[in-house]
Amino acid sequence: MNKKDRVSSTLELRGVSRNFGPVTALDGLDLVVAPGELVALLGPSGCGKTTALRIVAGLEVATSGELFVNGERYNEVAANARDMGMVFQSYSLFPNLNVSENIEYGLRARKIGSAQRAKRVAEMLELVALESKAKSFPHQLSGGQQQRVALARALAIEPRVLLLDEPLSALDAQVRSQIRDEIRRIQLELGITTLFVTHDQEEALTISDRVGVMSNGRLEQIDIPDVLYNNPVSTFVANFVGTMNHIPTIASGDTVDIFGKKIRVKNSKGVNGSVSALVRPESIEVTRTSGSGNAKIITRSFLGASSQIICQTAEGAVIQALMPSHESGDLHPGEDVTLNVTLNEVLVSHV
Amino acid sequence: MGAEEHCKMASNLRNSSLQKWSIIIFASLLGFTLFILPVIASSIYSFQKPGGKGYSFISYTWLLHQAGFFPSVGTSLKLAVLAGILNISLMVPTMVYLNFTGQKLKPLVDFICILPLVIPVVSLAIGAQNAMPSFLQNTQYELVFFFVIIGLPFTYRTLDTALQAISLKTLVEASRSLGASWIRTIIRVIVPAIRGGITGALFLTFALSIGEYTITSLLHWETFPTWTVVASQQNILGAIALSVFSFVSAIALLATVALFSKKGARQVGVDQ
Repeated sequence: MNKKDRVSSTLELRGVSRNFGPVTALDGLDLVVAPGELVALLGPSGCGKTTALRIVAGLEVATSGELFVNGERYNEVAANARDMGMVFQSYSLFPNLNVSENIEYGLRARKIGSAQRAKRVAEMLELVALESKAKSFPHQLSGGQQQRVALARALAIEPRVLLLDEPLSALDAQVRSQIRDEIRRIQLELGITTLFVTHDQEEALTISDRVGVMSNGRLEQIDIPDVLYNNPVSTFVANFVGTMNHIPTIASGDTVDIFGKKIRVKNSKGVNGSVSALVRPESIEVTRTSGSGNAKIITRSFLGASSQIICQTAEGAVIQALMPSHESGDLHPGEDVTLNVTLNEVLVSHV
Repeated sequence: MGAEEHCKMASNLRNSSLQKWSIIIFASLLGFTLFILPVIASSIYSFQKPGGKGYSFISYTWLLHQAGFFPSVGTSLKLAVLAGILNISLMVPTMVYLNFTGQKLKPLVDFICILPLVIPVVSLAIGAQNAMPSFLQNTQYELVFFFVIIGLPFTYRTLDTALQAISLKTLVEASRSLGASWIRTIIRVIVPAIRGGITGALFLTFALSIGEYTITSLLHWETFPTWTVVASQQNILGAIALSVFSFVSAIALLATVALFSKKGARQVGVDQ
């Protein structure tokens, strides 16, 4: 199976909501996932991302709204007739079946002949590089291997849409990034439309075509990772994606004063008085001063190409800066420095 | 590590192993006196010729030639097997449903399943019999339903424990999303995953049914336990042979359960 043989599907949610009693878990979600696209839903726990995924899988029923796959209404289609491959957060392999039997489970349910099943299982094992484990039982595999088998099992049925429900969160850090890259490789290779739910922003940003940030059951912003990072539309998105400094300052009109520089406020509507300016570490410049600057260095951590510098301003705010290592080599703890922001406009939030 | 420390560690080890051995020896002695000795004594006694001169199988052959031995054993086995199967077919879907949906009904079902232990057997026998249709009341198969009822407290716990040990929700959802129907999901995924629990529940009901005396006697049916009481009043050595026979069968049954559930656990591959 390769990209040319298969037609990728479009997934569309229109105004999908879900209430659990008085609690609104999902509040009118509109989302279109283009054929072959990998879209991540990112957000803190309880933001509705998992509910959205489970509604797509048919494991949860939407209170209102519509779901379409290739323009076909899917609301009433039973979970076992949806042709969606799903990888779960917890280990979900059938403990009494070995790896091959797990992978062919969906094919058996579809009454596919044994010769074709065997061929498909072999393909899938090759795809996730686990040929040698075909006869192993789930408890004999590591966590990462189990999730690869789960992925192979989900893909074996040639699903219209691949659903990933935090598939990496049970794994340890090293395996996590390895499996993450493997998922992306396979997803691109097969060109399969994928919806990926995670609370880990790094995971979402590294492998997705687009990332949707959710909060309180709503989609705050959905964009390609670069835009999301550099141009967040709200303070929630800005805070959730990447590291952010909160610099206390005073807003007057549509500008704020940061380290003595007047900067335009992007979200100026109704903002006045004490606010926090949101500035990324890489937008802060630290320079040595001969006299007394506006901050003192607390630590400098060498991270390779760049270094992290933590400073404290005269007012007591702790500021994190990220600078190229070759420009920050002469900065030492305890020294007086001058901080500058290299931005033309900033987001501010109320204190 | 110094020589002194070595010595200390060795003596600690010796002390703890001494303690371990004294416990083992004490337990073995206790078990031997209270359990094995009476069995050996009655076994020897059951092989004695009447009058006490020499040994033979005479008591056992007497047993086999008693009217009603084979029919009552047959009836008991048949009823016990039916009760086990009925109990499992009733309780497996119920427990799966209750555990899967996280039902509020679960404490209620738990309570109902405990009732057979609380209600006096006489009330249970008379009350439940009245609730049965009359065509059932007139056959010995009514006992199957009683056996199912008295097995409920044990089946409930056994199956509940087994179901809580697996991630039921995820397994069911994985199976459903792969295109499997509910029936396929239960047969192919859930039943094998809780195999040990099912075998345990099955054999518990079976064992309870095989040994049930009170209800059977109250309702005037003849099964192996009620027959035993009548038969043992005629021949003292025969009665001892009978008790040895019952005991050995019970041990064989228990051993089978242990073997089956172990095998089940190994197949499912429970990590210890």
